[in-house]
Amino acid sequence: MVKRVPDRAALLRAEEVVKHFPAGLGASVKAVERVNFEIYPGETVGLVGESGCGKSTLGRLITQLLPVTSGNIFFEGVDLTKLSGENLRQKRRELQMIFQDPYSSLNPRMTVGDIIAEPLENFGLLRGKAKDKRVQELLRIVGLNPYFNNRYPHEFSGGQRQRIGIARALALRPKLIVADEPISALDVSIQAQIINLMEDLQKEFQLTYLFIAHDLSVVRHISDRVMVMYLGKIVEVADSAEIYRNPRHPYTKALLSSIPIPDPDIQSTRRIVHLSGEIPSPVNPPSGCRFHPRCPIAQVPTPCADLEPPLEEKARDHRAACHFSEKVPVAV
Amino acid sequence: MTPVLQVKDLRTQFFTDDGVVKAVDGVSFDLHPGETLGIVGESGCGKSVTALSILRLVQEPGRITGGQILFKGSDVVKMHDDDVRELRGKDIAMIFQDPLSSLNPVLKVGYQIEEAMQAHTKISGKVALSRAVQLLKQVRIPAAESRFEDYPHQFSGGMRQRAMIAMGLANKPSILIADEPTTALDVTVQAQILELLRDLNEETKTAIILITHNMGVVAGLCKRVLVMYAGRIVEQGPVEQIFHNPQHPYTWSLLQSIPRLDADRKDRLLSIEGLPPDLIKPPPGCRFHPRCRFRIERCFRDDPSLIDVGPDQDAACWVTMRRALASDGEARA
Repeated sequence: MVKRVPDRAALLRAEEVVKHFPAGLGASVKAVERVNFEIYPGETVGLVGESGCGKSTLGRLITQLLPVTSGNIFFEGVDLTKLSGENLRQKRRELQMIFQDPYSSLNPRMTVGDIIAEPLENFGLLRGKAKDKRVQELLRIVGLNPYFNNRYPHEFSGGQRQRIGIARALALRPKLIVADEPISALDVSIQAQIINLMEDLQKEFQLTYLFIAHDLSVVRHISDRVMVMYLGKIVEVADSAEIYRNPRHPYTKALLSSIPIPDPDIQSTRRIVHLSGEIPSPVNPPSGCRFHPRCPIAQVPTPCADLEPPLEEKARDHRAACHFSEKVPVAV
Repeated sequence: MTPVLQVKDLRTQFFTDDGVVKAVDGVSFDLHPGETLGIVGESGCGKSVTALSILRLVQEPGRITGGQILFKGSDVVKMHDDDVRELRGKDIAMIFQDPLSSLNPVLKVGYQIEEAMQAHTKISGKVALSRAVQLLKQVRIPAAESRFEDYPHQFSGGMRQRAMIAMGLANKPSILIADEPTTALDVTVQAQILELLRDLNEETKTAIILITHNMGVVAGLCKRVLVMYAGRIVEQGPVEQIFHNPQHPYTWSLLQSIPRLDADRKDRLLSIEGLPPDLIKPPPGCRFHPRCRFRIERCFRDDPSLIDVGPDQDAACWVTMRRALASDGEARA
C-alpha cells in the first residue's frame, strides 16, 4: 500500500495551502494563506465568506484549476499538487466543478448533448449509441427531458442551465463536486429546485460536496459542516447547527447577525453586529489577527494586532481562530 | 391620510418582435406619506417595470399603455415631459442595484451630489457644498469632508450605495424608490444599508418603495408588502400578515422555499415546480395555476381578482391558503 495520510480517511485534505497572485511591483494578492482542512467522504462542507475572502480561489485550487503557490492537497492520499499532465488529468475525473453563472459556463455553440458528452469523449469512455444513452440518462437524472439533447443552451432558463452544468459534472461519476455559488444567479423559486436536486443526487451517487456560497442560510441548510473564511484564512469550522448556535469567532457572529430572516417580528428585534470599516486589502493584510481592525472585541495591540491566532479546537469538532473566542456572544 | 402616490390599474407593455409583453398588467396600490412599502417577486414579475413606470423611465419598446399614476393628485402618465423631469430626483428619487453604473466615473462624488441639488433648486455653490457634505454625513460616510473629493472608484460598493442614497435624498423627496439596493452587496454591508434606510425613513419621513426578490430584506424594512407574479399583484398587506399568514399560494410557497437561518432543521425545501409564464401569452385563468399545488378546476378558467382575505390584506386566489391547508388532499387537481 502507498503511504496514506494519517487520521480518519479524509477524501480531501488541504495542508498549509497558499495562493498568491502577482499584483505588480513585487506585490502580491494573498488570496489564500496557509489553509488547512479536510473533507470526509459523503459529507457536504459549506465554505462561506464575503466577496474577496478567497473562497472561490480555494475551490479552484482544490480542483487544480489553479496551481497552488505552496502547500499540499491530498485527494484520496495522492498529492494533487505534485501531479501534472496525464496523471492529473486522470485524477480530475473524480473532482468536478459546478459554476455560478449558468450562462457563461456553457458553450453557446454546442448542443446540450455535446456539452454533457464532452467529458465522456475527453476520457474516451463511451462512444456512439452508448454515449447517447448515457447523455440521455444524465439529462433524466437532473430532471430534464432526455430528448432535449439537441437543443442549445440559450433555449433553456437559468435553472435548467444549472441542471445541465450539474449533468456535465456528473458525467464522469466524480467523488467530489466543488459547487461555486451554484444557486446565487437563480431566482428564489428555482434555488430550492437546485438545492433539492443536489441533495437527491448526493444520496443517489454518494457524492461529497464542497458548497461555496456567500449566503449562510443556504449553506446551513445544505451543509453538514461549515467553514468560514475571512481575508484568505479559515477563521472557523464546525458542524452547521453548532456554528449557528454557538459561533466562536466574532466574524462568524457578525455574518450571522447580518443575514435577513424572513420574519418581521424577529427581524425588528435582532441586533446586528456592526463591523467597523471595510475588508482590508489582501495585498497588505493586517498584522496579527487579520480581522482585528474590524473586530468588536479585539484587544490591541496585544495580542490581537501582533499575534496571529491559530485555528484551534474550542469545543468538540469546533475550531476557531480567535484569541477571545469565549467572549463571542451567543447567536441571534 | 391622503396617499402621496396612487397607482391605478397601471399597464406597461413592451412591443417586441415576438409580440406584446404585458410586463405590468393592471397594478393598483397606494403609498402613504412616510410609509415603507416592499414590492417582492422574481425576475420578470414586473416589479422593476412598475417602479420605472412611476418615474416614466420605461425604455423603448416599452410604453405605459393604461392606468394612472397620481402623485399628490396629478397624473404622471399624462404629465408634460418637462414636468416629469422636474418630478424626478426632486419629488421622487430612485436608487438602483448597481451604484457603480449609476455614478459618473469621471466626476467627484461630492460634485455629483451638488449637481443633483442644483438641477432642481437655485442655490449658491457654497450652500450646495455644505449641504452635500451634510448629506454624506447623514448617510454615515466617515470623513465626509475628504471623501467628498473622491471619485466613485475610490469608494467601496457599500459607500457608493450610500452616496447614491445621499444623492437621492438631496432634494428631500417625498418618495425614494430603491430597486434592489443591496443585491450587489455583501451581507454585512447589506445589513448596514438596510439599517441606514430604516433610520433615514424615520429621520426624514421620506416614503420608501423597496423593490427586491429577498423576502428577508422586506421583513426588516417594510411595513407593507406587495407580492407580484407575472405582471400582477397577487397579494398585498401588512408585513406581519404576509409573512405569518400568507393567503396566496405563491406567497406561501416563496416563504417555504427559502432556507431560514432560524429554522432548526435540514428538511427538504419546498420547491415551486416549473417556470414563470411567458408574458406574451400568459396562461388562461389564474397565472400561477400551472405551478400551483393547490389549484382547483376553476383556476384553469377564471382569472381571480384581489379580494379581502384579512385585515388590510388582499389576495388574488380562488382557493387561498386558509382553505388549501384545511383540505390539502382534496384541493389538489
